[in-house]
Amino acid sequence: MMGWLRITCRQAQVLLSQRQDGGLGPLQVLRLRLHLTACDWCSRVARQFRFISEAVRRIGS
Amino acid sequence: MDAGSLQQAVAELRPTLLRIARLQLRNDAWAEDAVSETLISALEGADRFGGQSQLKTWVVGILKHKIIDQFRRSGREVSLEAAAEAAQVETFDELYKQDGHRINEPLEWGDPEQALSRVQFFEILQMCVDELPAALARVFMMREWLELETQQICKENDITSTNCFVMLHRARVRLRECLEMRWFAQ
Repeated sequence: MMGWLRITCRQAQVLLSQRQDGGLGPLQVLRLRLHLTACDWCSRVARQFRFISEAVRRIGS
Repeated sequence: MDAGSLQQAVAELRPTLLRIARLQLRNDAWAEDAVSETLISALEGADRFGGQSQLKTWVVGILKHKIIDQFRRSGREVSLEAAAEAAQVETFDELYKQDGHRINEPLEWGDPEQALSRVQFFEILQMCVDELPAALARVFMMREWLELETQQICKENDITSTNCFVMLHRARVRLRECLEMRWFAQ
């Protein structure tokens, strides 16, 4: 049940990046959230992607 | 700040501005042009610098506009490079098992915010951006440093939104790997 909502880490990391660029639809948001709830490794990568954005924005400041 | 001191302070920013412009534009001549125009604009508009922000922040703000202008002037060359880069297929198979799950646990970066106060961290970050293919770095920096919307990035580079998302993802994965190896694993 709900298997159609399941995604792999490879898919999740594409969606993580896409989320930062405002490119996710509601279903993709739901799939990603469910994956992140269960996957510590991808949650870690999510934090690291956000940190990279923050760091790049500070270049030159 | 009097006019003479301001002129000197702006001129002293040149090496920093040039490094940033090269990182973003990936073309020395374009970077030189963008920085020269920035310095001229800063000096001409010195009366608009109210001193509320740091001089460097104000001048870097001008540089951002000049870089966008430079992209527009170099439109065809930029879009050809972007199209070639978008055609590259990168699967990151080294990171994932066949079932799509990660092979190795990503390193815990601890409190990465601490790195933001270290000059050396930014040197490593710039080195990692520099190692990206030119078009990939350009698209990534347009998104993250110039803070442009993806729609505008697609238009400037003449690429589809799908290609744009894929390129941004590839840049992030590569940067993550690079920072992990060169900074956080040290």
